[in-house]
Amino acid sequence: MSVVPEQISASDLADLRSSLRGLLTSASDEEAVRAVVESETGYDEKLYDRLATELGLHSLALPTPYGEGYGMEVLSVVLGELGRFVVPGPFFSTVVLAAGALVASGDQAAMEKHLPGIAAGSTVATLAVIEPDGHWRHEGFTVTAERSGDGWSLSGTKAIVPDLLSAGVVLVAASTPEGDALFAVDTATAGVERTALRTLDITRRIGRLDLDDASGTLVGAPGTLTDLLDAVLDRATTALAAEQVGGAEACLEMAVGYAKVREQFGRRIGSFQAVKHKCADMFARIELARAAATEAARAIDGRDDAPPAGEAAAVAHSVCSEAFMFVAMETIQVHGGIGFTWEHPAHLYFRRAKADQLMFGGPATYYERLLERLGVTNETSTK
Amino acid sequence: MSTPSLADFADEARAFLDAHATPRASDGAVVWGEGPDRVTYFSDEPFEVEQANVQAARDWQRTRFENGFGWITGPKQYGGRELSIAHDLVYDGLEAGYDVPDTGVISLIGLGMIAPTMLAHARPEINEQYLPAMFRGDAIACQLFSEPNAGSDLANVQTKAVRDGDDWVLNGQKVWTSGAQHAQLGMAVCRTNTSVPKHKGITTFLIDMSWEGVDVRPLRQMSGGAEFNEVYLDDVRVPDTHRMGEVDDGWRVTMTTLLNERASVGGEGAGPATRPTSRANLLAMLKATGRDTDGGVRRDFARVIADQAATEYLTSQMMRRARAGDLPGPEASVGKLMFGQNLTRIAHLAAEMTGPRMLADTGDWGTFSWNELLLGTPAFRILGGTEEIMKNILGERVLGLPKEPA
Ligand SMILES: Cc1cc2nc3c(=O)[nH]c(=O)nc-3n(C[C@H](O)[C@H](O)[C@H](O)COP(=O)(O)OP(=O)(O)OC[C@H]3O[C@@H](n4cnc5c(N)ncnc54)[C@H](O)[C@@H]3O)c2cc1C
Repeated sequence: MSVVPEQISASDLADLRSSLRGLLTSASDEEAVRAVVESETGYDEKLYDRLATELGLHSLALPTPYGEGYGMEVLSVVLGELGRFVVPGPFFSTVVLAAGALVASGDQAAMEKHLPGIAAGSTVATLAVIEPDGHWRHEGFTVTAERSGDGWSLSGTKAIVPDLLSAGVVLVAASTPEGDALFAVDTATAGVERTALRTLDITRRIGRLDLDDASGTLVGAPGTLTDLLDAVLDRATTALAAEQVGGAEACLEMAVGYAKVREQFGRRIGSFQAVKHKCADMFARIELARAAATEAARAIDGRDDAPPAGEAAAVAHSVCSEAFMFVAMETIQVHGGIGFTWEHPAHLYFRRAKADQLMFGGPATYYERLLERLGVTNETSTK
Repeated sequence: MSTPSLADFADEARAFLDAHATPRASDGAVVWGEGPDRVTYFSDEPFEVEQANVQAARDWQRTRFENGFGWITGPKQYGGRELSIAHDLVYDGLEAGYDVPDTGVISLIGLGMIAPTMLAHARPEINEQYLPAMFRGDAIACQLFSEPNAGSDLANVQTKAVRDGDDWVLNGQKVWTSGAQHAQLGMAVCRTNTSVPKHKGITTFLIDMSWEGVDVRPLRQMSGGAEFNEVYLDDVRVPDTHRMGEVDDGWRVTMTTLLNERASVGGEGAGPATRPTSRANLLAMLKATGRDTDGGVRRDFARVIADQAATEYLTSQMMRRARAGDLPGPEASVGKLMFGQNLTRIAHLAAEMTGPRMLADTGDWGTFSWNELLLGTPAFRILGGTEEIMKNILGERVLGLPKEPA
């Protein structure tokens, strides 16, 4: 079923990276990010539109005929830059989570309905999995769906849904009498209530979704959701890994830049070994994280000499989550007091790093997933 | 003769290996409890056993050389094939599928670090004299760098080289010299000028270890064996032809060796402990020891495996880039840093899995044998530049942070 995506040369990847970096340097600098997080929607809709229409980023990694058919290696470049600038907005939710789920479902009608809008940047979409108990899971949902007329009716609560308030369509994981399944719910439908929540990561909005007999459209077939979410998660954690590397690189650049100019005791603090070695440790963790993210992307794209995708994705999610959190913390330490201020950008990355780490369940979940992917099942687990 | 395609070369290599070696019984698959129960980088074997291993290494290296696989990338005039790094990697990949003697004692230092230094800095007639012998397995080379007062601060070497006609006379003491007890050749870093800053008064020489005045005394390591040595140089006469690089310009020569060392220590996971420390073996061990139901062990295990896998990805990406002609710079120190840390964590993880059965040799396969690795791990955070020195390099040479004031 999986088609090996088109290969793209290293120099084309570098061109994509530099043009996007150029655009974001002017359009999404720190000042711009701070301004939009205070805005109504929490992101720059004009920029979001430009990313889709001018650079075609939304459609790059969508399968033909909806997009260009490039793979995760290409999408990773985009996410790396979005992560580097902590760009607020529903790109990840829409292009990685929702589009990823639609493609993984293989449901032609659903793809035809939603992918053109996602590709054009006009449809914002997201994926709702986490329920009030806070677990990321692939089966056994409390949100239920029942047949009603020739459609379905959904009820229940999804507690943590990224970019819910800006989304026009939300893909909801629910249990049905015929097995767990995914449903597309139009957020303007009767019975849909969305509540904006305060968030740890101020650059990424989150909402609670309460469904009360809301009508939804089945995506794929009941009983296939667990496999579908496994596939989505491999892609999503790989994309997230690229974003984490981008964020970590930005932190290290800040820390090193500061260590080169800040003076104490009559010398630049970067000449103190304790500071220098912190930076070297950050660099080493980032090199490792980049290698893991790159390898996972190659694995997802089905490259010949790459490791199995499930394994590489789980490695990348673990290594990159740990690396970004570590680097974001140490960056603040290298800055001292100024690093603890609201005015300093370090906390934007700290917040993003923790949020990224927890988004798909957190360390306990990702280390268990890695073991599971390596064939060490957990007999003691209660899931 | 034109360059063989990678496919043709692979056929040739397979034919050679089939004729001279036996394929590994299982193709990589690990069966817990089967195979040699050794987990070692530093052997604690008696000298006679070690010598037999060294002889086996020499024999296999000669067989490789005589059949065109001893120095795949080397210049033809010195017995090489002048093929690409890609050809080299193809051969290594294929050879890994066969049971052949470990040739680390010849290749790690001599062929991996000193030969490239010679190619860059030694005279052609010296290269003609020694390089074919090194790649034939006849001449093992050692690194006479460290001294009692020059470890991390290598530029502080005190071993004196004084000019005397067409010769130099060397006097001094080297220490921690790995493999000197088997070596025919040594690369000595010496002081030739005391009136200039320390980096600018160093000259390097190749010496024949059988020359008058070279005295090798083994030092026993914490792991039990005696693989490194003190080497005393007492009025050793060295012809000027054996000098590498210009007089007083030996620091540059030395850096060539060190760069190769750092890239190779963190590089491809070759070596005698590769199999036991492989993910497959550790997974088998987790199940065999029944610790796979222990939440704490599971977490430790997953963390180590994640970093080990990411380090493997990093190395394989570096190799891919090297194949494309993009050779690693000082950032290769990350590989060395991670290698030492991963190996250390793996040894302690193995200890956690075996538990008290690592305390004494109960005869159980895969338990007590881990001590050999455990007791070797501290070395990997020291040799080739300590962790602190690696981090200085990353901080200063890669990130551009200011040096420490003198
Ligand atoms: C198994 C083994 C094999 C070896 N093989 C060889 C060989 O074949 N040939 C050879 O020449 N040498 C060899 N060595 C020597 C090795 O290169 C040195 O041991 C190493 O460079 C450290 O030097 P040292 O032992 O003098 O320790 P020192 O340099 O005295 O270091 C002691 C401690 O001080 C720290 N330190 C020193 N300087 C600094 C600094 N500037 N900033 C921060 N911390 C610092 C070190 O990191 C370390 O923690 C070998 C060593 C081992 C363990």
